[in-house]
Amino acid sequence: MNSRILKNIKKDFLIEFRNRSAVNISFAFAGITTLSVSLVAGGTPFPPVVHAIIFWIILFFSAMSGLAHIFIREEEEKNSLFLSLYYTPEEIYISKLIFNVVLFLSISVIVTFLYLFFLQVLPSYKFLFFLTVVSGSIAIASVTTILGAMVSKAGSGSSLFTVISFPVLLPVLWTAISLTSVSIDGSGVQEYRNIIFLLAFSGVIVSVSYLSFKFIWTEF
Amino acid sequence: MKTYNRILFLLFVFIIMPAVFMMALLWAPPAEFLGEASRILYFHVPVACLSVISFIAAGYHSIMILISENNIEEREYKSYNAAYTGIIFTILTVVTGSIWAKISWGSYWNWDPRETSIVILMLIYISYFSLYSALKDNVNRTRISSVYLLIAMITMPFFVFIIPRIYPSLHPDTIINAEKKVHLDAAMRLTLFASVVVFTIFYGYVFNLMNRISSLELKLQEKQNDN
Repeated sequence: MNSRILKNIKKDFLIEFRNRSAVNISFAFAGITTLSVSLVAGGTPFPPVVHAIIFWIILFFSAMSGLAHIFIREEEEKNSLFLSLYYTPEEIYISKLIFNVVLFLSISVIVTFLYLFFLQVLPSYKFLFFLTVVSGSIAIASVTTILGAMVSKAGSGSSLFTVISFPVLLPVLWTAISLTSVSIDGSGVQEYRNIIFLLAFSGVIVSVSYLSFKFIWTEF
Repeated sequence: MKTYNRILFLLFVFIIMPAVFMMALLWAPPAEFLGEASRILYFHVPVACLSVISFIAAGYHSIMILISENNIEEREYKSYNAAYTGIIFTILTVVTGSIWAKISWGSYWNWDPRETSIVILMLIYISYFSLYSALKDNVNRTRISSVYLLIAMITMPFFVFIIPRIYPSLHPDTIINAEKKVHLDAAMRLTLFASVVVFTIFYGYVFNLMNRISSLELKLQEKQNDN
């Protein structure tokens, strides 16, 4: 099973990096949004909580712009049936999840560096900030992978993706924003335990998605 | 509908429900600080309970769609109808809650954790209906929307039970609170529980009626397809 998942991940990466348009658009979207915010802010000193809100809004919409693509592409290119013949739904899910986690972590790294650089933010608890970005990004990628599969089957594109993702992602955004705010102003080191919430949330969503993915992917 | 069911319902709608409303408006004593305005409690709490009960009902039927091969069509309209009644009760909860907030906190909306949690429940319902209508031509529509409700169900306990307890809230203690005690005097408690019971029975009746309509529509459609 592992080698088959690796083969599928390799296929996805090869296709995405040969035809770079989708990945480029995701990275460009993340970069442009961050730059626009810093340009409009023009050096205005925001309180930490405002920084945290803007930062996670940029990450949320970057996820909305790029993470459903991996499934939508399979539907547009009529590959989903061939994939279903060769791979089990669980193998497809795991490989797409890994792809999305890697892609979104890369987007998050770019957004983080651009944000910290252009808005001149220096977190007091750097390790907490780093953990929040990583665990929050994994949680966002976990949720959007299964919802992206649903959207690809509905054929409605990104507006539906945003509508159905927002309520499910709110606990993640809520917690990540408060953690980021604390890590910037350095007000509460006890907040480290909320990282467990983000990781547990990802774990629960991935487990349920793994079990229920076949109902989305296979046509009964 | 069978005759005794109809009689029971008429008795319920024309005698028991108005009696409970009278209890709420006239018999129960007003609360110490809020005065007469506190009577909105007997309407706000039942509709809030029902918005969560509807969500659980929709989630239950969705899980059954996924794990059971039988009665898929029946389960589909039941989960849809539960969500449909759920969104109505959620809107009623938001409206009664914001009236109460205006009276006791001075503004209609404060982004209190509990207000936020009910708005998110409403967003989940809206998203469910958006997905359901977008999947109109998909043969897997029932299963895909069921998986969405299942995933949304997982996030609900965080909103309804966990976050309002972690973040400071102005909201009064709920019936299911940390001390497991209802902070009301005997008459208010009796009225509140009577109100919750009548609203729940009313909800059951409306839900049943909607399911019967859906069942008839389904049969009609099957008949038209056969012809």
